[in-house]
Amino acid sequence: MTWPVGEFDELQRLRVLHAAMPGTMLAETVLRAPLSDVWSVLDDVETGFPGLVPDVRSVRVVDRDGERLRVHVRGRSGLRAPFDMVLRPGWCLMQSRFLVFGMAAVADGESTRFGYLAGLRVPGRRLIAPLLSRWQHRLARTTLRRFEDRFGGRHR
Amino acid sequence: MATGTLVRVAVPDRHRGVDEALADAIRSAQYGDMLAMHDVLDAVAEPVRRWCGPIALQDSADAVQETLVIVLRRLGELREPAALFGWVRTIAVREAIRVARHAARTVPYELDDIPAPGDPALTVEVHDVLAQLSPEHRAVLMLRDMDGFDEPTAAAVLSVPEGTVRSRLFRARQAFRRLWQADGGAR
Repeated sequence: MTWPVGEFDELQRLRVLHAAMPGTMLAETVLRAPLSDVWSVLDDVETGFPGLVPDVRSVRVVDRDGERLRVHVRGRSGLRAPFDMVLRPGWCLMQSRFLVFGMAAVADGESTRFGYLAGLRVPGRRLIAPLLSRWQHRLARTTLRRFEDRFGGRHR
Repeated sequence: MATGTLVRVAVPDRHRGVDEALADAIRSAQYGDMLAMHDVLDAVAEPVRRWCGPIALQDSADAVQETLVIVLRRLGELREPAALFGWVRTIAVREAIRVARHAARTVPYELDDIPAPGDPALTVEVHDVLAQLSPEHRAVLMLRDMDGFDEPTAAAVLSVPEGTVRSRLFRARQAFRRLWQADGGAR
């Protein structure tokens, strides 16, 4: 006898973190490419992230232990920060002292449901969240557009 | 399943320990560390899926997600990391019942309305048998017959008297047995 088990995929996991973390934004889209194609790019963080993830100019892996990585990120805006990272198929979460980023991808036939999360880790983020919303919406549009341009997406 | 008694699937989460690494993750998550929240989700997601599945059925994905949101939002209330799994189980069971009750397509049958044995509408799947019980009856079946908890524990999780647990369990088992045997004990 097998009891029913509830579903929980990586996109739901990202929604849970977004709901639990004030000051983060979450944007979702559907990419017209299979998960294997999408993730083969993102799995190679040093070459896959620059150009896809906004503001990221370079990523250098300085340490790796299984799915845990320590990376150094340089951004076009002057960002220079070490990030702790979890990377597994369909799932990426990065955290520095002040920033968090996350990506989740779930296979949907020949397409991929994709989610992107970004936010600040600063005291009082709940209070400043409304002030950040315009910047976050712009970031969300930019991010999804880049992924849709690369893999094919809704706006095409 | 020839005798019509429920098979207990031993999944002893009540014995699952919180090791030092998980305790550290809980403490860090309480201070907003998102990677630590990720670790907490890794630890609790599987048991939450199993607790919500038999109760919320087709709406269990929503129940799992809602449960985990509540767990992370209220993690600061958890003073003792060792109590994590019992605390999460209570949230999961109550949330699964709430989601199942509020889902528009969930119209639980009264136990008296359950089709008689031999009714061709009956299917052989546990899911379909459970779907004909109310969320509250599914919860007590899951707690007692899947996880093997005693009546006081089940009563505490559900916030009902032990007598209510006993009566719900009796009726749920009776109905389950009747449905389960409906195809001649093929299962």
